[in-house]
Amino acid sequence: MDSNIDMNKAWILIKHTFPILDNDINLRYSKIPDAQLFETVNLINRLGLNTTIKSLIISKFEEHVRKYVVPQFWSFFSIKSEASEGFSQFFKAVDLLYNYFSHHLDLMNNVSLLCNNKQIYNSENSTDALKLIIRASLLSQLPSNYNKIIEEFYETALKLEGKDNTQNIACPVCRREQDCLCLTYFHNTNSKLVELKLLEPLCGQVLTSLIYTYIESYINKTCKDNFDNSYIDALEKWLDHFIINWLSKVYGYSNSCELQEQEFKQKLTNLLYETYTKVRINQLFNIIIEYPESSPALEDLSKCLPKTDLRPLLTKKLQKAMETRLLHPGVSTPDILTAYVASIRSMRILDPSGLLLDVVTQPMHEYLRSREDTVRCVVSSLTEEGPNDLAEELVKGDAVHVDETAASDEETENWEAWMPDPVDVDPSKSSNIRRSADIISMLVSVYGSKELFINEYRTLLADRLLSQFSCDTEKEIRYLELLKLRFGDSQLHYCEVMLKDISDSKRINHHIKQDTNYTDNSFSMSAMIVSAQFWPPFKDEKLELHPKVLSQMEAFTRSFETLKGNRTLSWKNHLGVVDLEIELKDRTLKLSVTPIHATILMHFQDQDDWSLERLSRTIHIPPIILRKKIRFWLSHGLLEEVMKDIFCLAEEHDSNIANINPDVVLEDYESESVMASTQDQREEELQTFWSYIIGMLMNLDSLPLERIHQMLKMFAFQGPTIECSIQELTQFLDRKVREQKLVFSGGLYKLPKNDML
Amino acid sequence: MAQNVDPFHAQRPNNSKHSEEGRANTNDSHAVTKRLQKELMSLMMSQERGVSAFPEGDNLFRWIGTIVGPKETVYEMQKYKLCLQFPNSYPYTAPFVKFITSCFHPNIDNNGNICLDILKDKWSALYDVRTILLSIQSLLAEPNIDSPLNALAAELWSKPSEYKKHVLDTYKQ
Repeated sequence: MDSNIDMNKAWILIKHTFPILDNDINLRYSKIPDAQLFETVNLINRLGLNTTIKSLIISKFEEHVRKYVVPQFWSFFSIKSEASEGFSQFFKAVDLLYNYFSHHLDLMNNVSLLCNNKQIYNSENSTDALKLIIRASLLSQLPSNYNKIIEEFYETALKLEGKDNTQNIACPVCRREQDCLCLTYFHNTNSKLVELKLLEPLCGQVLTSLIYTYIESYINKTCKDNFDNSYIDALEKWLDHFIINWLSKVYGYSNSCELQEQEFKQKLTNLLYETYTKVRINQLFNIIIEYPESSPALEDLSKCLPKTDLRPLLTKKLQKAMETRLLHPGVSTPDILTAYVASIRSMRILDPSGLLLDVVTQPMHEYLRSREDTVRCVVSSLTEEGPNDLAEELVKGDAVHVDETAASDEETENWEAWMPDPVDVDPSKSSNIRRSADIISMLVSVYGSKELFINEYRTLLADRLLSQFSCDTEKEIRYLELLKLRFGDSQLHYCEVMLKDISDSKRINHHIKQDTNYTDNSFSMSAMIVSAQFWPPFKDEKLELHPKVLSQMEAFTRSFETLKGNRTLSWKNHLGVVDLEIELKDRTLKLSVTPIHATILMHFQDQDDWSLERLSRTIHIPPIILRKKIRFWLSHGLLEEVMKDIFCLAEEHDSNIANINPDVVLEDYESESVMASTQDQREEELQTFWSYIIGMLMNLDSLPLERIHQMLKMFAFQGPTIECSIQELTQFLDRKVREQKLVFSGGLYKLPKNDML
Repeated sequence: MAQNVDPFHAQRPNNSKHSEEGRANTNDSHAVTKRLQKELMSLMMSQERGVSAFPEGDNLFRWIGTIVGPKETVYEMQKYKLCLQFPNSYPYTAPFVKFITSCFHPNIDNNGNICLDILKDKWSALYDVRTILLSIQSLLAEPNIDSPLNALAAELWSKPSEYKKHVLDTYKQ
């Protein structure tokens, strides 16, 4: 080793080779001849200064990067500019950085010569080391809002990609209609970033969130409010063709990165499913309402649900939607029922196990139970004419008995397709029931008893039979048969008798008319003969008919008695239809009216004027009601109120009221039911219970609710239809407590002390 | 009074035997059940003031009855609880009736046993729970002094003030 090396000379040489030591940054290192480089390196090696020099150079370099290059790079990001400029700003920034990088590659190469085996910062080669230095400095000075420009950049790029190439729309970046180079710039930028290994750290997050929002907005755009197409396949295809494709362009995936690409794709597919499911869940209520048109959407959803964990969200959202949109007083019961049927059907598509159905329909059940007219609506829509969900269900009629819990063996045939119930199922219910329960059974089970249903049906049937007065029972018999299939013979026995009564009446009428002792000289009459025991109770109204009619009815009764032996008729005077033909001086009227109306007019036939009070006494109808009935004839111009409460017959037609509006006339024609309302019946039943409750409390002092219910069940529920749920009983007893007829303390009911027998 | 207790004790085991047989023979008891159901219903619907009864529990053959002391007697404003046990042969055999609330009365002993002809030899199937209770109610007002179960009560009957004191004392127990 020659120790007489001129240090000054050596230093000059080193500085010449590595001008960075002299704070000269911008020299092109490639211009330094190899000979000079080797000489310098040898010199340094000889001096044993390689580590020192290397560190010196690197720290100089790093300092420069930190102080000048990085701030310059980030300065592009801070510029407040128009939206479209983000693209070019980022492009310029990356360009700058890349240029700097390529300038200094040689420096790094040269430096790496100084270190024999050990590389700078343990990186594989000098290029990597350079990248590492740049990256580190860059990220160490990350400004807080760096995302914005990057986001803008990629957003614009995505727009460019999505742009239809066939149309000459001006490029949003360079505003050129043709030969736009922006895409090229974009790809260049990306490849530079990839090379610098900066793409993922700098843009990864931004890209991901950008893609997420893009997918979301795309799904919203395409699928929202459109339920009659299946989208899931199209969406998957779109994801594959568009998003994945674009991403692989950005990341410059080559074959080697397939694994990473696969992973990414999986993530995005998941996201796609999740987003789509969420969109559908948010619209689920609409989807259900539009069933069956919306069944493709439902099928999509049922495909997506197992792939996501959104079931709880679905139940929550749907229940909420039901509450706010369906289950409130503003919706009519038939509408709720329609929605109910639709939701049962759609839930079956969604989830064949029936669990969802259970959960979703629970609030509906509760709500329907609280509506008074539910049963009536169900029964009437069951038997209604015309297209109707429930009627269809009934006709389909594979009778599933509501209370049959026996497990069927037929499942075993299909054992290979068997699926276990989901884990969150209530194990107390057999899955067979859930899976097979049909809509009518479910509706019936809302109330827990068939009796209520049958009862309501009976009332409706009675109403229809009595209001029609036609003896055409064929249709009714058909429905009855269908109902029998479902509810069993014994339950519908009463109804059967009712129908038989109708046809019997026809026959008996025929017989009586042939009877020689019976003559209908003044008018013809036929009677509907119903068996009191089997028909629901009628509303009781008093009416004294005109003597003429009465004598005719007596004759009819006599005839009937001879025909039927020891039976007789008890007439319901206020029920029926009277066909009138009214001959006046100037015109003839033909009308079908109620007996009350007819009776009023017949009295005016005998005597031209009546006071309200006298007429009311004659026909046993309270004046208020009578006045209402008289209004019918007033509107027809047949009667006139000459003075207050004095009416007289108007034979001559008054031209003033010549044009009678038929709507006004018919307005009074009663359409209300002749049956005692269910509520009245119920009130009566409850009164019965009340006597029993007094009886038991009198003798057994105090009892808890359950015991009272049990006692009633044992001793009081005797009739075919009498029943009382524990909820109803609670309400009833609470009412009695409020009326101070009961005392409730310590969970026990008792009679008040002073209530001696 | 002790000498008069016997016949009731003699009858009691008889009754319980009957009902045990009845449980074994459900076919037979069906008619009885029906009759009792009907009686209960008519009793509940009758709105009868002053007497009342109801099955004690799940068993329709055992009822608790309540009678209110007849007006203008020393028993006025008092409520007496009774226990009615129906034999399986009801209504051909009288039910066994006894007081639960202790009652000071010539024809009622300290254990609540009642001496009343229609519950014994004068029983007829036409009687029912309502008529039994009404009979007992009127028995309160018009005791049969000649065949007392409670000798003291029979003795005191003629002295209303003393008698009333006893009645009230007994009732409070």
